[in-house]
Amino acid sequence: MSADTNTPSTPKNSGQPGRRFRIEGQTILLLTVLIVLVIFFGSLQNKFLTSRSITSMGFQLPEIGLLTLAMMITILTGGINLSVNATSNLAAVVAGLFLVKVMPPDLAPGAVNLYLVAALAIALIVGIVNGIINGFMIGYIGVPPILATLATMTFFTGISTGLTGGATVTGFPEGLSIVGGKDLFKIPIPFIIFVALTAATYLLLNHTTFGFKTRMLGSNPIASNFSGINNKSITMKVYMFSGLLSSVTGILIMSRTMSAAYEYGTTTYVLLTILIAVLAGVIPGFGSVIDIFFAVLILQVLSTGSTMLLAGIRGSSFFKDFAWGVLLIIIFIINYFIRIRKQQE
Amino acid sequence: MLKKIIRSNEFVIFLILVFLSLAIGLVNPAFFSISTLFDTLRASIVFLIMAYGLLPIIIAGGIDISFVAIAAVTSYATHMFLIGRGYQGSILLYYTIACVLGVLMGLLNGVLVTRFKLQVFDVSLAAFTMWYGFNLFFVGATANYEIPQSAVGYYNQFIIRTRDPFVGETGLHVSILYVIVIGLVIAWLLKYTTIGRGVFAIGGNREVALRSGFNITRITLITFAVMGLLSAVAGVTQAFLSRNFNPVIFITQPLDVLAAIILGGAAITGGSGSILGTTLGVLVIQLINRALILTGIPVEWQRFVVGLILILFTSIPALRAMRARRVGHTTELVEGE
Repeated sequence: MSADTNTPSTPKNSGQPGRRFRIEGQTILLLTVLIVLVIFFGSLQNKFLTSRSITSMGFQLPEIGLLTLAMMITILTGGINLSVNATSNLAAVVAGLFLVKVMPPDLAPGAVNLYLVAALAIALIVGIVNGIINGFMIGYIGVPPILATLATMTFFTGISTGLTGGATVTGFPEGLSIVGGKDLFKIPIPFIIFVALTAATYLLLNHTTFGFKTRMLGSNPIASNFSGINNKSITMKVYMFSGLLSSVTGILIMSRTMSAAYEYGTTTYVLLTILIAVLAGVIPGFGSVIDIFFAVLILQVLSTGSTMLLAGIRGSSFFKDFAWGVLLIIIFIINYFIRIRKQQE
Repeated sequence: MLKKIIRSNEFVIFLILVFLSLAIGLVNPAFFSISTLFDTLRASIVFLIMAYGLLPIIIAGGIDISFVAIAAVTSYATHMFLIGRGYQGSILLYYTIACVLGVLMGLLNGVLVTRFKLQVFDVSLAAFTMWYGFNLFFVGATANYEIPQSAVGYYNQFIIRTRDPFVGETGLHVSILYVIVIGLVIAWLLKYTTIGRGVFAIGGNREVALRSGFNITRITLITFAVMGLLSAVAGVTQAFLSRNFNPVIFITQPLDVLAAIILGGAAITGGSGSILGTTLGVLVIQLINRALILTGIPVEWQRFVVGLILILFTSIPALRAMRARRVGHTTELVEGE
C-alpha cells in the first residue's frame, strides 16, 4: 500500500498532466475489459443479457460498490479501513434493534414511517461515530491504519455480537424494504443510491479543497503538513465519510434481506473491496471514483457470467474467485507494459 | 544495556503479555496451569510458523496476505492427491510435496513482483483470491477427514506429557520443535547473512540498497520462496493437528497474523522487525483470543472485549512513539550514552 518507487506517475512531471493521462488510460483499459467480458458472456449465454439478469446485478452490486468507495477514500490518504464491513453490520444491527425493541407495536402507518426515518438516521450516526473512533486512533494517536481498523473491526463486530447475542434481528416493518428491494422506472433503488453517492464522492474528491487536501495527504503527508494542511483533521473527516458510506451499505443490506446480523460478509467482503480498489488502480494520492465504478461492474459481470456459464458443475460459484485473481494479474501485467511504452515515448 | 532492553518494543509487548496473563489468572486461577500453557502453545504453533515466513517480506517493505491461501492449497491439494491414490505412508511425503508446491507458489508471487515491478500487496491479493478459488473449484469444496494409517497418531505425539485434573492427559506437541528450529534459522538468516542484511536494507531504503550493490531481485525471490515454504509447513501441520483437511483453512486469518507481526514491533513500512517481537505478538493475540473464555465473560461479549483490548494495546506503542517524537532528540543524547 505504500507508494513505492514504481508508482506510475513520476514525481518529476509535477502532477496534473501526467496524472490525468494515467487515469484516462486506466479507465479505457477497464472499459475495454468490461466490454470484452459482456460480449463474451453475452454470446455464450443468451440468459446473460436479459433484463432479469441485469436487474439482479443492479441489486447485488451497490452493496459491495459502496463498501469499496468507503475503502477507497481511506486508501487515497495512504490508509486502509478494514472495519467497513463491521461498521455496516453494526449500523444495521443498531437500527434493527431500534425498530424491533424501541418502536411500539400497532402504530399508525404515518408513525411507522417516522420511526423508519429515525432508524435510518440512527444507522448513519452509528457509521459516523465509528468513523470518529477510527479517525481519532489513526489521526490523533498515530496507530498504523491497518492495526487500528483491524482492532475496531473486532470491536464493532463484538458490539454487534453482544447486542444481538449472536442471533439475526428480524421482524421489521414492510416499509423498510423500499430502500433495498424496490425499483424506480425499472431501475433498482439501491443502484440509484449507488450512482448518486458515487457522483457525490466524485465531486467531493475532484472539485473541493477537501478532496485536493485528501489526495495531497495521501501522496506526501509531510509535504501536506508543511503546506498548512491539517493532516489530523483531514484524516478524521475521511474516516467519518468512510463510516458514513459503510452505514449506507448496512441500510441497503438490512432493507434487501429484511434482517440484520453481526456476521454478514465477514473478512472476505473486506478483502474484496480492497481487490476492487486495486483493480481500479487506487494508490495513496491517486485514484478515480469512475474507475471504481467500472471495476465493480467488471467484478459483478465476471461473477454473474461465470456462475451462469458453469451452472450445474460442482463448486461453480467458486470459479469466480479464481477468475478474479487471474484477471487482476492480467491487468497488472497489461498496466506494466503500458507504463513501459509511455516511458519510452 | 538494561535501559536499552526496557526501551525496546519487544519489552513492551512482553509486559503486555505478562499483564494479560496476570489479569486472566486473577479472575480464574485455573489459568495458571501447565495444560493452559501447552494449549496456548499448541494453538500458536502454526501461526508462529506462518508469521516467521511472512516477517522477512514485511521487513523488506512488502505486505503479503496470500500466505494463508498457499497454506490451504498446498496442504489440501497434496492430501487429495495422495489420498486419491490410497496413500497410507508417513507424514514426511506430505511435507515434501507441500513444500515443493509452496516454494513454487511463493516464487510465482516473487516473479510477478520483480519482473513486472508490482506492489507486493497487490499481487498477494490477487494470489489470495485466485488460490482459494482454485482450491474450491478444481480440488474440492468439502473438508476431508481421512488420515493415512501411519500418521493417525501424529496429533498427540507429545515431547512432554502431563496429567491435568480438568482435561486429562495432555502434553506439548512435538511440532513446537519445528517452531523453535524455524525461528532460530530465520533469526540467523536475518541477522548474520548478506541476504538478511539485504532484506533490512531494501525495507529501510530501496534506492540505497540498490546502490550498495544488493541484488534486490534475488533477495526478494528468496523471501517469497521462504514464505511459500513455511506456509506449506504450517498448512500441513495444522491439518494433522486438527485431523482434517479444509480447503478454506485460515481464510479469515491473514490479517490476524499481520497484526501480530506489527504488534510485535515490525514497521508496516519495512526496515524493522524481529523474530522475538513476532513471537511475542503472536502469543499475545492467541492469549487474547483463547484465554478470555476462562474469565467468565459471556460468550457473546467476548469479541467486544477482544476488540477493546486490541484498541488499547495498539494505542500504547503509538502513544509511546508520539511521546518520543515530542521529547525530541535531546533526551536521546543524554540517555543514549
